[in-house]
Amino acid sequence: MTRPETTIIYTCPYVPAEWIAAHGLHPCRVIPETADPAFLTARTEGVCPYVRSFICEVMKYKQAGGVVVTTVCDQMRRVFDILVRNCDLPAFLMNVPNTWQSIAAQKLYIEELKRLSRFLIRLGGMSPSTDVLINKMLEYDKARKSILAAREYLSARQYAEAIAVLGRDGPGGLLNDAARSGPLTAGVPLAIVGGPLMKRDLEILGMVEEFGGRIVLDATETGERGMCAPFNRRRLSDDPLMELASAYFGGIQDASRRPDSELYKWLKRQLVTRAARGIVFHRYVWCDMWHAELGRLKEWTDLPVLDIDTAGDNETDRNRTENRILAFLETLQ
Amino acid sequence: MIETPERITLEEWDQQYKLLQKAGIYQPDYGGPLSRHVEDGDQRLLKLQYDNSAAALRLWNFLLTEEDRLHKARADGKKIIGTMKDLGTVPVMAYSFDNVVAFYPDGAWWIPCVMELSAGLLEIADSLGIDESFCPVRAMLGAFVTGAHFPVPDMLICSVGATCDDFSAIAQRLNGLGHPILWWEIPHRRRAETGEAMVNLTGGFSAPECQVEFVKSELDRIKNALEELTGEQLNEEKLCAGIKEANQVRRYLAELRYLAFTAELCPIPALEMLVAEMLAIHFCSDRNETIAVLKDLLDEVKARVRTGKGILDADAVRIFWVNPVADLQVMNLLEDCGGRICGTEYLFTHALDIIPENLPPIEALAQMALADPMAGSSADRAQRICTDIRRFGAETVLISRIPGASHCALEGEIISQIIQETFDIPVLEIEVPPVTDSMRPTVCTRLEALVETVKARPRVKQRKWRKK
Repeated sequence: MTRPETTIIYTCPYVPAEWIAAHGLHPCRVIPETADPAFLTARTEGVCPYVRSFICEVMKYKQAGGVVVTTVCDQMRRVFDILVRNCDLPAFLMNVPNTWQSIAAQKLYIEELKRLSRFLIRLGGMSPSTDVLINKMLEYDKARKSILAAREYLSARQYAEAIAVLGRDGPGGLLNDAARSGPLTAGVPLAIVGGPLMKRDLEILGMVEEFGGRIVLDATETGERGMCAPFNRRRLSDDPLMELASAYFGGIQDASRRPDSELYKWLKRQLVTRAARGIVFHRYVWCDMWHAELGRLKEWTDLPVLDIDTAGDNETDRNRTENRILAFLETLQ
Repeated sequence: MIETPERITLEEWDQQYKLLQKAGIYQPDYGGPLSRHVEDGDQRLLKLQYDNSAAALRLWNFLLTEEDRLHKARADGKKIIGTMKDLGTVPVMAYSFDNVVAFYPDGAWWIPCVMELSAGLLEIADSLGIDESFCPVRAMLGAFVTGAHFPVPDMLICSVGATCDDFSAIAQRLNGLGHPILWWEIPHRRRAETGEAMVNLTGGFSAPECQVEFVKSELDRIKNALEELTGEQLNEEKLCAGIKEANQVRRYLAELRYLAFTAELCPIPALEMLVAEMLAIHFCSDRNETIAVLKDLLDEVKARVRTGKGILDADAVRIFWVNPVADLQVMNLLEDCGGRICGTEYLFTHALDIIPENLPPIEALAQMALADPMAGSSADRAQRICTDIRRFGAETVLISRIPGASHCALEGEIISQIIQETFDIPVLEIEVPPVTDSMRPTVCTRLEALVETVKARPRVKQRKWRKK
């Protein structure tokens, strides 16, 4: 496959990859490495490690043609200010409303997609025809379904990586062969819930399996929870942009939503369906949105909840996480 | 006017109170000696220094009796609205109703300071999973749980979107505890793009017309909800009248700020100015009284300026202060260390600007909401600060970091860079927790160093940029 020249990087799940791809550009969802300790040393206290790492990743991503940041959380919103001042990469700040129940909020999201389109066109993208958009949506939808169908047959890390590869490279090979190996059934079924995971944090998924657990629900932002809803074929052909907005804005449940009631409805359905016996709650220090959910989640669920807070950048952190997961699983086995 | 304006302790205020009483000063029904508030648990009052005027007495008594007013409003059958986060917009609408009192539960962030942590609000927040990594506004959760600091409102309204994560997350936690909240969206303010109609906002900001239209629709939603709650229609005439009254508050404050920040001798302490500015955001639960309190204060300041009297030395270093302090005592400290306030940006400058009276009222309020310095970029905020530094002639800027606040982590550096690119003045950033006692020497040392740095510079030459 010949990759389009211009790569547009982003990390927020509310940025539809199909929309960027339909403009003839390459959407690349960044899952950052841990920030270089020498980077942004002027201030680390109070800064979410994921935010720091994302800034670092964008600064290093020399081949990118543009970056899309969203307003989903305050620190990411402010990342845009930093990029505009310190980085030559054209940057776009997309307003993703926190409220979702009003028609006005839904319209605002669609208007922001149209504004994003103008930004992409300025970077050399083509205004997408309906057919091109529909085709891109179908390609991504098929790839997502393939990943979702393969979930039972993949380790949690493989599953998370498959989602990451789709975000990074776009729809490629499907995972139809995954079923050959048979479903994975060993280990205590657990859910992992939280914001996005950095590359290094994917280790946590491996740790759970190593100590006798099995992640049956990856409800992190970079996992299944960050995937949009499947497209409705009829609506897709009637009005693809509307369907795209509906699947992303209406389909992804997040702690940033106000109210966040749909997140809990989604979690309830998934936890029951997957028969999870415990929840690993992952959050970064200084991430207020997810930190605040911890107390509520504990009150809301009967399942045991393990809080894993990480700064994401040191060995002590890793050992502590490992020990906590081990102890958690010992209590559940 | 008081013969000799000065800063005095609470103990000295008792003496001063007797003198003022003998002199027959007017006292509203909430008047009385300041020291009585200590019995309510407001221990911090014992450690503060106050302006010694009758106007300041009225200001403090007004501030410290808000809870009583809210309970009285409830007893009188008024609807109590908790307006959260937008700092100055929804209260203007709420007070346009005949039978509504609005207040900011967010204001609970000062309770740990005023009660020197004795109220246990932060411990309650801790127990709810909202620990010290969050902004001190988490005290609000404790205040709702105890019900000891304000009556539970009949309706809670909270702005989200381009707001800080701390408050949004804490408000959601409150919602999860069973307090219904009417959420409304304030989008991140951006500049109009090519082909988009642009609206100039107050504060030197601008936004595309579509954002103003969006916020108008959100405010209409709030208006409808308030009408349903109160059973009262809010027509344009009533809302215009409410805006006029709010503007009276803002006009007095504008004059007060200009005099306080530019007079040769500082006519009023930073602490009283902070309290006065705060009145703009929700009128301390009584709009008419706010106007009267500010008028008194303004008259006192005018008289002092006219007679060349002040409360600090003439060479006090002119400090522009960014962000409100969680510990009120720091406002005293900056003066003890040789500084004076010459310009402020306490996160609610949009509540100090005059609301346009020549526009349909909802549109005017939508514009004001979008002019919130926190709704836009840090660069926009910095530009407004620069405009005010020039206007008030500040010699240095102090950015007071709010512990745990999501915006403070990244914005301070940008604001600092832009100020230093614009002016050749020092900028210092300090963190101020709700009670600074344990770190008072550190805070003092940093403030003194800042003052000394400014004094060591050629101060006359330094002010030349004001004429640019």
